[in-house]
Amino acid sequence: MTLDPVEYAILSQSVIAAAREMGAKLIRSAYSTILREARDGSAALLDADGGTVAQAELIPMQLGSIGRIFQPCAALYPKETLEEGDFLVINDPYSGGQHLQDVFFFHPIFFEGEVIGFAASVAHHLDLGGGSPGLNAGARDLYAEGLIIPPMKVNIHRDWHGGGFQRLLRANVRVPAQTMGDFDAQIAANNIGVLRIQELAARYGRAKVTATMAALQDYSERRMRAAIAEVPDGTYHGEAFLDDDGLGSGPLPVRAAVTIAGDSITVDFTGTAPQVGTNINAPFASVISASVSCLKAALTSPDIPFNDGSLRPITVTAPKGTLLNPNHPAPVRARMLSCSRAWNAVMQAVSQAAPEKVIAQGYDTTTAFCLSWLGPAGWSVYLEVYGGGYGAGIGNDGCDAVDNPLSNCSNTPVEAMDQDFSFFRVTDYTLRTDSGGVGARRGGTGFSRSYEILTEGALVSYYSDRFTGHSSGIFGGGPGASGKCEVLRDGQVISLTSKAAFNLLKGDVVTISLGGGGGYGAPAERPAALIQRDLEDGVISKELAEAWGK
Amino acid sequence: MRVGIEVGGTFTDLVAVDQGEVRVIKVPSTPRSPDIGAFNALGAAGIPPESVTDLVHGSTVATNAILERRGANIAFVATKGFRDILFMQRHDRRSIYDLHYAKPAPPVRRRDCFEVPERIAPDGSVIAPLDEAAVTHDLIPALAAGGYQAVAICLLSAYASPAHEMRLKEMIEAALPGLKVAASHEVAPEFREFERASTTALSAYVQPVIDGYLDRFGATLAGAGFTGHFSVMQSNGGRMPAIAMRKNAITALLSGPAAGVVGAIRQAARSDRGNLITFDMGGTSTDVALVQDGEASLAAETEVDGLPIRTPVLDIVTVGAGGGSLVWIDDGGMLRVGPRSAGAEPGPACYGKGGTQPTVTDAHVVRGTIRPDAFLGGGMSLDAAAAHRAFEDVAKRLGTDVQGAAAAAIRLAVANIVRAIQLVSTERGRDPRDYALLPFGGAGPLLAAEIAEELGIREILVPPNPGVISALGLLSADYVKLRGITRRVGLGDETPAIIAADCARLREATESEFAALGLTGPLEHSLELDMRFVGQAFEIPVTVAPAELPGLTAADLAERFAAAHQRVYLHGGEPGRKVELVGLRFGVRRRLDALPEVKERASGLSRPPSAEVMGVPAKLVDAAGLSVGEAVSGPALIEGYSSTTWVPPGWTGARDAAGNMLLRKEG
Repeated sequence: MTLDPVEYAILSQSVIAAAREMGAKLIRSAYSTILREARDGSAALLDADGGTVAQAELIPMQLGSIGRIFQPCAALYPKETLEEGDFLVINDPYSGGQHLQDVFFFHPIFFEGEVIGFAASVAHHLDLGGGSPGLNAGARDLYAEGLIIPPMKVNIHRDWHGGGFQRLLRANVRVPAQTMGDFDAQIAANNIGVLRIQELAARYGRAKVTATMAALQDYSERRMRAAIAEVPDGTYHGEAFLDDDGLGSGPLPVRAAVTIAGDSITVDFTGTAPQVGTNINAPFASVISASVSCLKAALTSPDIPFNDGSLRPITVTAPKGTLLNPNHPAPVRARMLSCSRAWNAVMQAVSQAAPEKVIAQGYDTTTAFCLSWLGPAGWSVYLEVYGGGYGAGIGNDGCDAVDNPLSNCSNTPVEAMDQDFSFFRVTDYTLRTDSGGVGARRGGTGFSRSYEILTEGALVSYYSDRFTGHSSGIFGGGPGASGKCEVLRDGQVISLTSKAAFNLLKGDVVTISLGGGGGYGAPAERPAALIQRDLEDGVISKELAEAWGK
Repeated sequence: MRVGIEVGGTFTDLVAVDQGEVRVIKVPSTPRSPDIGAFNALGAAGIPPESVTDLVHGSTVATNAILERRGANIAFVATKGFRDILFMQRHDRRSIYDLHYAKPAPPVRRRDCFEVPERIAPDGSVIAPLDEAAVTHDLIPALAAGGYQAVAICLLSAYASPAHEMRLKEMIEAALPGLKVAASHEVAPEFREFERASTTALSAYVQPVIDGYLDRFGATLAGAGFTGHFSVMQSNGGRMPAIAMRKNAITALLSGPAAGVVGAIRQAARSDRGNLITFDMGGTSTDVALVQDGEASLAAETEVDGLPIRTPVLDIVTVGAGGGSLVWIDDGGMLRVGPRSAGAEPGPACYGKGGTQPTVTDAHVVRGTIRPDAFLGGGMSLDAAAAHRAFEDVAKRLGTDVQGAAAAAIRLAVANIVRAIQLVSTERGRDPRDYALLPFGGAGPLLAAEIAEELGIREILVPPNPGVISALGLLSADYVKLRGITRRVGLGDETPAIIAADCARLREATESEFAALGLTGPLEHSLELDMRFVGQAFEIPVTVAPAELPGLTAADLAERFAAAHQRVYLHGGEPGRKVELVGLRFGVRRRLDALPEVKERASGLSRPPSAEVMGVPAKLVDAAGLSVGEAVSGPALIEGYSSTTWVPPGWTGARDAAGNMLLRKEG
C-alpha cells in the first residue's frame, strides 16, 4: 500500500501524539512516588509484529527494549490466539527485560476482529517483593530481587479486578495500595493507546494505519542512517570503569569498540569485566538500549522518533558471562551502573570521530536511594533516583544537578515527602561547591541531600558508583568530584561504600552526595568573566578560582 | 466611552464602544515602549483620553520581562538548607536526548539567594522557630548590601502556616523600607516548594517592571485628562483595577491569549452558544481553548520560558502553527509545517520582504484563499509570484505541482491545529463534535471549515472583526479574583464543612479587597476542588457551585470526582479506593454590563463577483456588507478588514441577528 505523503505525515504525527498521551496519563494517574514524581515509566505503540512505532519519551533506558521483551510473549501467545480483554505481562530480565521492578504490559489493539498492533507500558514499581523493601542490596541472585513474572497472558475480566493474577501480585508486594494503583495506571495508559489507534483505523482505514506504522519505522531508520553516514568511518575504542562490585573487587572495566562503516555501526563490548556476584550486572537488552541511546544522542537530531527503525542501523554484541551479558540467574537490580559505563565507553569512542558532538563524562551514575521503615501500620518505603552533574560540551557548561542521561527521573518535592513520610525529614538540598570539572567549559555540579531520621528501626539501602572513581574531563578538561554517602551519628561521621545497606538510629542524619561532571577543553581557555561569575555564585571556591587554568 | 487596548508582538489593537458605535483600529506595536503604541492607537482612532470612562489594557510587558530576563534585581530567601531550590528545579530534562541540555534560567542569581533558620511541619506546627537574631544580624545586612529592588521569600510549608513568612516579611520591611517583599503564602499558597518558589521569585522579578510601566501609563493618561477607570487584564480571564496589580503582578502574565478567549465567549453568548472550542491563529502560533457552558476551564499552573508559575490561568494550549509557519521537508523526507516561523521579518515570501521559504500564508495565496489585492482590507498588497516560487522546491520533492504542494501544506497545518484541539478535548474526555468551533485571529477563519471537517464539527461561529477579538475581550472582561490554596484532607463527613469554612474565609478576604478597590455591586462566587485518589500526585479539578455546598455530602463529592477521573483516564478506580481533597480555588467575580452589538468594520474595498480558488470559481463577499439572514453557500470567500472566512463547498454561511456569522455543514 502506498501512502499519500500528506496522509502519512498526518497519521504518523497522530500515532506519536497517541504514545505521548499514553505516557502523560501513565504518570498522572500513578500512585507511587517513583512513578508519579520521578516518572520512572514509559509507554509505546507497537505494530502487530511487536516492532515499536512510537514512544512517549520519558526514560531512554526503557525505550530501547520494549520491542525486544515483547518477543518472548508473542512466541508463547501468538496474536491470533488473543481475545478481547487479554493482555500480556512480563518482567523477566533474561527474556529481554531490564530489572524485575520494570514490569511491562502489552494490550492487543483489535480492529474488525484482528490484532493490528499493541499498546505497551512499562513502569518501575516501588516494591515487587524480594529480600528487602525497594531494593535488595544484598541479593546474590535474581530470585532474591523480587517476583519473577515470565511471559503471561492475563485477562482483565478473569484475572484482574479481584482475579487470581492480581491477587497473587498483591500478596507479594509490600506497599500494595501504591503498586496495584500503578498497575492500574499502566492498564489505563494502554487502554488510551488502544482507543486512539482504533479511532485512527476507523477514520483512515486499517491499511493506512498499518502502512504508517511501517513507514514511521523506516523514516527513523533513514534519518539515523543519514546522520551516521556523516561520521568518518573507522573503528574507535573507549573504556570506562565501575568502582567495584559492591564487595570490594574493582575497578571493573567496560570496554567498547565502535565501528562506523557507511551508514551502520557495530558496538562490541569484548574486553569488559566478567559478570559479578552482585546486582550491577546488566541484562543484554539494557545494554542495547544504552548503546543506541548514546549514539542517537551524540550523532543524530533529538527529534528523530525512537522506534524499531532507529535500532536497525546499530548492532551490539557483548560476550556471554560478562557484566554486560550475564548468565541467568545473576542479579541485575543495579544494571543502570554498568549501562552508564557502557554509555561512557561508547561516547569516548565516538569522541574520536565527532569531537564537536560529544560531551565529557558526567557523574553518569544512577543512584537509587531507598529509606524504609516497618511501622505499626505496615511498610513505609521511600525511593528516589538521583543523577548528578552533566559533562560539559564544546559550547556549554555541563548541566548542574540533573538526572543521568540514560534516565530522566524528577525529584520528589520536599513538601510532598513531609506529608507522606513520618520517619524521616529532609534537612538540606544543596549544590556542591567545586564539584564540576575544570575546563574551557565547566562540568555540571553535583549536589547533596540530607535526611534526618525521626524513628528507630529505619533502613537506608542504595546503589551508586564513582565514590572512589570520578567522571573524566575531555580534551584537556578536568574530572568531576566523586560521590559519597555519610551518616552523622552522635557527632561522628560514618562513611558508607557506594553500594550499601545500613541500619539507622533515631537522630542519625544521612547525607547522600552526588558527583559532578567532567570539563571540556583546556581550563586556561575559560573566559575570566565566567570564572568570576561561578566564584560569586559559590559554584566554585576562591581557591579553585585562583588555581583555575594554572 | 469604553476602550480596550491589546498590545501584541506585531500589532496593537484597539476596540472602542460608545453608545452602540464601535471603532476598531490596528497600529504597529512599539516593543521597546509598548505604551507608545497604545497611545498611538488612541490617536489613530481619534479618541481623546478625557472622553474614555473605562480603559482596559492588556500587554506583554510582564511576559517579555521574563523572556528577555529584564526584570528587577531581586534576592531570594529560603529555609536553611534550601537556598538552591530554584536551581535544583525538578532534576529532569525536557529534551531527553539533548546532551547540551540547559535548565531554564531562574530570575535570580545564586549569590543573591539566602537562608534563614526555621522549619514548619505540613500541619502548620513549628519544628524550629524563626531565628530572628540570624535575620537581624545576617540576612538584613546582606539584603541591604545587595542593592535589591525586591525580595522573594519562600519558606518550607508556608502554605500550611504563613507565620514565619509573615514575621520575616515584617522584619525586612521594618529594617529596609522601600524594598518590596513578595512572600510565597501570598503569591501562591500551595504545596510543592519549587513551583511555589518559582512563582514567588517571578512575581518579585516582574513587579517593579509592571509598577513602572503602569505608573508611566497612568501618568500619561492623567496628563491627557483621563479620569475614568483604568484596568489591567489577567491570565485568569478577568480584569482588575490597575492599582490592584501593585500587589500581585504575576496574574498579568500571558493575559493576551486569555483576553481572546473571553472576547470569543462574550461574542458567542450573543448567539446563545456556550460550548465552544476557540482557536486564535496568528502569525507564529495558534492558541486553543475549550469552553463549557460559557466558562473556559482553568489550569492551576502555567509556565513562561520553562519556569513554572502557580496561579489559576485559563487553560490554553499553544502550538507552533501560524500564518508565518515554515513549510519544509526534513532529512527523513517527511513534510513538516512549523514550528519555526518566518516571523515578521522577512515574513512569508508573498510579503516581498526577502523571504524565500514557503509559509502557510503563501500556501493560501497559491490556492487562492488569500487574494493578494484584498489582504488587510487592501492595505497591503502581496506578491503572488513569490509565493508560487517559494513552493517550487517542496512541490518537486513531493512529486507534485505547486498547487498540490500548497494544498498539502494547508492539510498539515490543519492537522497540527486539530491535534492541539484534541489535547483540550478528546484527551480530557470531551467530544469535539459537541462544540461549536470559534476561530479568530487574522488567520483563523480561513482554516476553520477544514479543521471542523477533520473533527466532525458541524457548526462554526465567526465573530465580527475576528482579528481584534482580544481587544474586545478586554472590554468585556469581568472583574475577577481567584485564590488557590492547599487544603489536604481525606474525604470524610467533615470535608464539606472544612471546604465551607475555607470558602467563607477566602470570600471575606477577597470581598474586602474588592470593597477597598471600589468594586461594589452584586458579586458572584465560584469554587473548584482539586481532588485525587489517595496516593496520586496529580489532581483533577471538580467544579462545585458554592451555593450548593451546604447540601453536599462526602459521597456526593466522591461521586463527582470518580466521574471526572473516568472521563480523563477511562477508569474510576477500584471500589473503595480512598479520595482526598488537595486544594481548592475560590473565585469572586463582578460582572460587567453587556456590551452593545459590535459590527463588522467595513473595508471599503471593491471586488469582482468571483475569483478562482483551488481551480474553481468562488463567490467573493464583503463581510461588512452581508446582511442578517443572507446565506452564502460555498465555495465563497467572505472578506473582512482584519480577516477572511473561507466557506468550502458543502458549507453555508449566514450572519445572525447577533452579528456573528454561522457556518454550517449541509446535509
